[in-house]
Amino acid sequence: MADRDEIAEAYADWRVRCNENDRLRRMLRGWDRVVHLVATDTGDRFTVVVRDQILAELTDGADEVADVVVTATSEDFADLFWGDLNPSQKYMSGEITLAGAQEDVMRLDAMSMVAFLDQ
Amino acid sequence: MTGAGDRRPGPAAAGATGVTVLRRALGLRTVVSTSTGLAFAALEYLAAAGLVAYVAGDSAWIAVGTAGLLALMAWGCFSELNGMFPTAAAIRLYMKRAMDDRVALTITFTYLTTIVLVVAADAFIVGSAIAHVLGQTAWVAGLMIAALLAAAVVSNLRGVKVAGGVQDIATYAVLAVTTLVAVTAVVRSHRALRFPLAPLHGHHPGDFLEAVALGVFLFSAFEWVTTSAEEVRRPHDIHRGMFIALAILVIVCSLITVAMSHVLGHHQLVSAYPQLFLGRAAFGQAGLWLMAGVTAATAVNTFNGGFITASRFIYATAREGSLPSALARLNDRAVPWVPVVALGVVSLVVSLVVAATGSWTVLVAVGAALEAMIYAVAAFCVVRLRPRLPDHTRPFRLPTRRLLGGFGIVVFGVLAAVASVSVANHFDIVPLIVIAVGGGLSALYVLAVLPRVQAAEEARKAARGRRRPPRRPPEAPGASGASSAWSVAPK
Repeated sequence: MADRDEIAEAYADWRVRCNENDRLRRMLRGWDRVVHLVATDTGDRFTVVVRDQILAELTDGADEVADVVVTATSEDFADLFWGDLNPSQKYMSGEITLAGAQEDVMRLDAMSMVAFLDQ
Repeated sequence: MTGAGDRRPGPAAAGATGVTVLRRALGLRTVVSTSTGLAFAALEYLAAAGLVAYVAGDSAWIAVGTAGLLALMAWGCFSELNGMFPTAAAIRLYMKRAMDDRVALTITFTYLTTIVLVVAADAFIVGSAIAHVLGQTAWVAGLMIAALLAAAVVSNLRGVKVAGGVQDIATYAVLAVTTLVAVTAVVRSHRALRFPLAPLHGHHPGDFLEAVALGVFLFSAFEWVTTSAEEVRRPHDIHRGMFIALAILVIVCSLITVAMSHVLGHHQLVSAYPQLFLGRAAFGQAGLWLMAGVTAATAVNTFNGGFITASRFIYATAREGSLPSALARLNDRAVPWVPVVALGVVSLVVSLVVAATGSWTVLVAVGAALEAMIYAVAAFCVVRLRPRLPDHTRPFRLPTRRLLGGFGIVVFGVLAAVASVSVANHFDIVPLIVIAVGGGLSALYVLAVLPRVQAAEEARKAARGRRRPPRRPPEAPGASGASSAWSVAPK
């Protein structure tokens, strides 16, 4: 079980990788979204905001309107942000669940793939 | 797959999301239009015309109604499975839990060919119909097919998505105009219906069975809307929407078949554009142009839904590691360009082969057989998963699971077998060969290639190593709180 600080540390690393990736920034053009993260095991909730092709800092809580909601275990969130976990594998096995438009879900997956695999 | 027509804020579909509200969520109207629109492709008109040959006089509506009742059983199965797995990846989730994953993947890949067939068929029918109303020759139709598919590929690559409002309008307009044309054509014929209640008059009972198999194809793809389960405002909108869509399809398809059998001659029924002749019977030359426009409008849903659904599924399967990673490459608009281009090329080849050989009836038979097969698989999954996952949440349950599920497996299995060896009321094994080749290639890939793909992915993963640092030891008593370097910003 990963605590809030571990998830925040992982996210901080992921955020830098995403914001410094030119290709990813091109992919995020015009994609301003609010993403909620819900950890099923700890009950922790976070908000990620993407605005003007930049990922903002992770904020605590998730009690507003969102474009996408990602639900996973805290360990999966930490592994995902460190790039040690393929979110699509977890999604296709039902361990990560999503709510939101398909194109938004695609962008989220693209972020994790491009940030670590640069495909 | 769907657009944003009926999008308003709604509670997130995920159960554990608590107070979160989705900014944009699909409502019932768009679910119904998506389900209906995906099923009502241009191929619908050819399948309806083909069905007429198997029954007496104007009684094809009975075969359509019977197929509708069977489709209702498939609806029950998909509703239960979608309720258990409300995700775009549902088909992978329930099939891998109900059977060996290699079998599940083989069936899934074979089923994907239905999407290619429908896209190819729509390109062929729309191209042929436009060439006909313009008085152009067959090679012009070929050029139009290529142009249509090229436009679909380019718009997909550029991330253009038909807005939900446009999709809703296109679907409901197609259904309304088709209904109007069918009714008007019958009324203006000034002739009474022939044998409207005697489908077997002068026909063998086996003919009726084949008519029902084709009838099932009229509803094919209504279940693709389940891939929108993550976007809906209310989870039950999916199964309600599919039910309404089936009811609409039964009514519209019954009217089309009755009108076609009533006013069209044999050579018109076996043409690539019987709907144009129906339009002309109803409103003269204006009706012909009207139906040409309606035929083109059906492509909105097919190209929008077909390309997006298939390419995203291929992308996700490649990301999962079950297809080569090249299929997960994205362009700068986050579109999986390799699957999109591949779908366009394969659809073009298939549609040009169909145009050159005139074998669209084979396409209809293959589609009907594959659709019946996937309905049988859905029934099998429902029957198998009840004891395997007894505690899984089921917002919708197929009543009398053993009876209806077992009946569904048998009936849809028989219909798949019948459809695979019958083309235009003649025994023909070409559809079976096409399916066997598709299934064989899928099985070959799953058994021989996939293990190597997965091994290569594992090797890449091992080479990358693990980035996550080892967990920090617990802090000593009296130490300060978490480092500000990685603390969460307060909201």
